[in-house]
Amino acid sequence: MNSLFFPALLTGIFCYLGAIETPWLFGMSGGFYIVGRPLVAGLLVGLAFGDIKNGILCGLAVQAVFIANLSTGGATNSEITYAAYGGIGLAMATTKNPAIAVTLAILIGQTFGLIFYNGRMALYSFWNTRAEKAAHENNDRGIVLNHLVYPQITTFLLRAVPVFLAIYFGKGLVNWLISSIPEIVTHIIQVLGGVLPALGIAMLMSIVIKSKPHFIFFLAGFVLLAFAKLSMIAIVFIAALVAYLYYLASGKNTVSAAGSTVGDNDQTVNTDDEYEDEDLF
Amino acid sequence: MANSNSTEPQKLLSKHELNQIWYRWGFTHLSSMSYEKLQGHAWAYSYLPFARKYYKNDPEKKRRLLERHSMFYNTEPQTGQIINGIVASLEEQIALGNDVSEEMPVTIKATLMGPLAGIGDSIIQGIIVPILLSIGMSLAKGGSPIGPLFYIIAYGIIGPTISYIAFHSGYRLGVGAIDTIVGENSKRITDAFNILGVMVVGALAANTIVLKTIAKIPQGGKSAPLQGVLDGIFPGLLPLAMVILGWWLVSSKQMTATKVIIIMVVIVTLGCLVGLF
Repeated sequence: MNSLFFPALLTGIFCYLGAIETPWLFGMSGGFYIVGRPLVAGLLVGLAFGDIKNGILCGLAVQAVFIANLSTGGATNSEITYAAYGGIGLAMATTKNPAIAVTLAILIGQTFGLIFYNGRMALYSFWNTRAEKAAHENNDRGIVLNHLVYPQITTFLLRAVPVFLAIYFGKGLVNWLISSIPEIVTHIIQVLGGVLPALGIAMLMSIVIKSKPHFIFFLAGFVLLAFAKLSMIAIVFIAALVAYLYYLASGKNTVSAAGSTVGDNDQTVNTDDEYEDEDLF
Repeated sequence: MANSNSTEPQKLLSKHELNQIWYRWGFTHLSSMSYEKLQGHAWAYSYLPFARKYYKNDPEKKRRLLERHSMFYNTEPQTGQIINGIVASLEEQIALGNDVSEEMPVTIKATLMGPLAGIGDSIIQGIIVPILLSIGMSLAKGGSPIGPLFYIIAYGIIGPTISYIAFHSGYRLGVGAIDTIVGENSKRITDAFNILGVMVVGALAANTIVLKTIAKIPQGGKSAPLQGVLDGIFPGLLPLAMVILGWWLVSSKQMTATKVIIIMVVIVTLGCLVGLF
């Protein structure tokens, strides 16, 4: 048990550093977008537990599910940092099985992660009121304290402590659960670990696919990997090329649209036929 | 009154002072975020050095500056720096006593935060981050640290660079930047980026979703694995079906993530029980 103390503590601290509101790493850029990503969390938790390879494998599996984690307007669908650090940390403390990491991450993210996140968002109104009062009173020090210092202490306590406790004391519970569940359930969890990334990607699709014809490009990307077995980097280059062609083509459309008020839909559908029509005008 | 203020001639913001506004907001934009104010207070915090420079002898003006920058504010914090740049140029004009009303920065913030959140979120959260992550994930196969390191370095450069360029071009262009943000050409660029994103998401789907059937089909006395037959027709057909189902549930049926998770758990559980997966 004792050997778990420092890895669990480090994981808790990383969970704080990966928070959306942490200022140390250029705000959201370094906190939420870098340290907060499960892929990076896998590396960091792996370092904390002294097993980088398994850490990254767990991180990889969890990242796939949370690929589309979105935070728009302060609302969040699942608390990614608690999910990543709690899930990967507990998995590393017990079985080091990526599928277990995914299951735990979802469980933690959807339940106590969201509770803590929403609780903190509500709690911060208290500091906000004091910061606003400081602004009214021309009190520079009050703004700094209530914008930076006190909220950060609050968030540190609300992130590092629960994750530390969950890993330190949750190990026994998770071990007991894993050893006592029947084999078919383990198999289902294993299959689910592979399927749940579909949810993350589906959510990403619902943002980027803005009109039905866009689905063709989705299919093109899928086929380039599934059939042609191209690497991700190669596909990014091909996609950039296609995007550039699309940019050029949409330019042609807007020029003619000025004259003939072509509907918005026509701008998103760029078939060759339309080109020829445009040239005729 | 003007005399008491100008013991030294008022000057434009120096590069260092501009950077101060940029990084103060950049580091702390969400430090005290609540549903009530979100990024609001980071503005007042970022204008503290500004207030010391221009309003050292005028507490009333300083108070008004801090108050008008303590309101609710929320946008995508990296691309949104363009608003901070525009507002910095306006606040500078106000401080220099030029004919800009104190309402102007408030109005600019309120009108631009929405559109920029829309553009910024879809480009950064919808395209740049998933693309870099999917490259990182493909490099991390087998547990290689190159994957996460690639992502850390790549986004570590891209994120702050976007923020820096956005802030300084906002400041340089001032109010003129608004045309650039909501203009026709910016829509074309966003659309093109979107196509890039959609294609990479397609590849990502093929790369990350794992679903194989273990069912066997009888073939003249012997039995062949069904997965082999499926691979011959369309590799990744089951993952594709799963992601299209998910997309349909999320976008057409407006389901929440939790509901979709439950549906997927049911499908997988039934599939496992009948020996399909």
